[in-house]
Amino acid sequence: MTAVTAPPAAPVAPPGKPGRRRKGSGGITPPWLFAAPALLVYALVMLYPSIAGAGSAFTDWSGVGEQRSFTGLANFRELVHDDQALGALRNTLLLTLAIVVVQNGIGLLLALGVHTTIKSRMILRVIFFAPVVVSPVMVSFLWKYVYNPAPDAGLNAALNAIGLGALRQDWLGNPSLAIWSVAFTVIWQCAGYSMVIFLAGLEGVPAELHESAMVDGAGTIARFRHITWPLLAPAVTINVMLSTVGGLTLFTQIIAMTNGGPGYATDTLSTVLYKQAFVYGKFGYSTAVALVLALFVAAVSFIQIGYLRSRETTA
Amino acid sequence: MAPELISSYTPPSLSRRRLLQLLGGAAAAGTLAACGGDGGSSSAGDTLKVIGVGDQEAGLRKALDDYKSAHSDFDFNLSFAPADQVQTALRTQLAGGNAPDLHVVYPGNGSAMSMAQLAKANLLADLSDQSWTQKIPAGFAGAFKNDGKTYIFSPGSSMLGAIYNKKAFASAGVEPPATWSELLSVCDKLKKKGIVPIALGAQTPWVTQLIDYALVPGTVYAKTPDFDDKMIAGSATFADSGWADAMDKYLELQKKGFFNDNPNGTTYEQATSMVGTGKAAMAVQVSAVLPAFREASSSPDDLGMFPFPATDVAADNWIPGGVVVGIAVSAKGKKTEQAKKFIEYCGQPETVNAWAEAVACVPLYSEGDPKVDPVLQPFLPYLKDNKAVPFMDQRWPNAEVQPTHFAVVQELLGGKTTVQDALKKMDEAYRKTA
Repeated sequence: MTAVTAPPAAPVAPPGKPGRRRKGSGGITPPWLFAAPALLVYALVMLYPSIAGAGSAFTDWSGVGEQRSFTGLANFRELVHDDQALGALRNTLLLTLAIVVVQNGIGLLLALGVHTTIKSRMILRVIFFAPVVVSPVMVSFLWKYVYNPAPDAGLNAALNAIGLGALRQDWLGNPSLAIWSVAFTVIWQCAGYSMVIFLAGLEGVPAELHESAMVDGAGTIARFRHITWPLLAPAVTINVMLSTVGGLTLFTQIIAMTNGGPGYATDTLSTVLYKQAFVYGKFGYSTAVALVLALFVAAVSFIQIGYLRSRETTA
Repeated sequence: MAPELISSYTPPSLSRRRLLQLLGGAAAAGTLAACGGDGGSSSAGDTLKVIGVGDQEAGLRKALDDYKSAHSDFDFNLSFAPADQVQTALRTQLAGGNAPDLHVVYPGNGSAMSMAQLAKANLLADLSDQSWTQKIPAGFAGAFKNDGKTYIFSPGSSMLGAIYNKKAFASAGVEPPATWSELLSVCDKLKKKGIVPIALGAQTPWVTQLIDYALVPGTVYAKTPDFDDKMIAGSATFADSGWADAMDKYLELQKKGFFNDNPNGTTYEQATSMVGTGKAAMAVQVSAVLPAFREASSSPDDLGMFPFPATDVAADNWIPGGVVVGIAVSAKGKKTEQAKKFIEYCGQPETVNAWAEAVACVPLYSEGDPKVDPVLQPFLPYLKDNKAVPFMDQRWPNAEVQPTHFAVVQELLGGKTTVQDALKKMDEAYRKTA
């Protein structure tokens, strides 16, 4: 009989001088002096303006001049009854939902596709990731050209050329369609970003698990469901978080492609707060919208991360 | 594997003191580099900083160039931005106390960058003591003055009507119409000839308002010249006025197929190109954009303008003629006096004429016969007969009505609202406080 090998000794304490950088067993004391310059810059360009700006939400400041008076919660009361803001909230949630589901779905499929042994996988990775590095404004103008409503231009011309002329649309001018046209552009640009994160997750899935499962007779779908998907949980968390925050704060593509129109059909909370500040001259009210948006994004992110982290632990 | 790698890693020796020295050195280098940059551009301190909007470039640049050649000690730093960016960038500069010495301002009230809104915030210098201000026509006082003081210089008034392609009209055998029925007939003939009668680039927000602006002088102001006063007093509304008639007519043009397909997805630039190339016969526009249309056409002589008729009674067909975008002196600027001297120069009749000619508008005033772009001749009798109405937004009380108008027109064109609901939204925006 073969003697059972003794288990390895318990790991030794991690290297490093205990005491100086550790506070009991509670964690590492941050190197404050080292972080000070960065913290100072962060405080000056982020924290101070944010806190100072938040005060405007309780005033009727127009954005220029020194005339302003304290209005308490009046801006927040107006927000609750503002049809434009409520419509924008609806649009924001629809866009976010579409972006989170479709972008991550496509990102995952792309990652699975290029995480194979095919020869062109590196080139494909570069191609799929390429739109991510282009400025969102440039991408928006490019797609505005693609969405040209003329029957002989852009996407409509392409549809006509392949015999699908009946599907030609006024992609950005139809109030019912415009929001989905914008969502498609965002997904086209950002799916490569999701792909890269999923790809990093896939690289971390041990090949041995797949080999064992194959020996046990598991098929491709069963292996994805029981091995790949659970082990991708951290990548899913990151992707869902990033795309949710990106969707809730979407601004550039909308301003560049539709300016919130036709009518209010593609207005989001971000474009509404911009218009209130710079077009309507209601900086105080705009700040109130911004404050609500920030709290809303924080709350959604907090709930999401709580759920997704617990899913990671279970997995 | 990983713990072994970490335990065998020895960081290079770098003491905390050395690190701080390096950081301090980097910071000092950065500071010195910044100082070098400032020193290199010392001449910027003597330069008048000017920010304009694209529409006024030809006139403003010429005035600045001419003034500079007559004053050797004068120099300027001029930049331009499209209208939407002006709202953002310039307002941010104004809010931050970093305003340029001279900047674009819209006449009257009704937008966040309008004379009245900025004057109320004490951001504009008073120009009332300059001699040219005495020559502002009484009908334009509201565009230039707030509380009796003049805050803006503008070279004159722009006409709003139909810019048309003469060749397209000739190929369909039609002439500029004088009444609403004639307009419909002309559009019908053009359409049958395969030419888009009216190019409409309603994806560009400000374009959406122009057809309404062309029609309401006839449907509203010809019958109720004091409509704006009644609106301010609260005794009139958009919904119960000739605005409803104007919007119905706007939609009638769409229902009859007289616009290009998908106007909500078409931009101002695309519509301009359609008229320039003759693919479309006309576009309702302000005369200030004539240079852009001429650039899009094979020959500037291909284009003409006519007043856009709103009714079948020729006498009721008034025209919209608004004071064009101007410039003002920042009250918080560093060279207020120098900037005021330049404005005084702009107010001289020769400069007014030259600027007005460059942006195809009727001069604010003239000594002798004004030099007016020949295509504006059909509008001059209306000015003479006091049948011109300032652009409607110039007397609206806040900056919310105009963008609401843009949005509801897009909704109307997209079939998402009715004329009555659209006008109710405009009434709600009008009643909000300034």
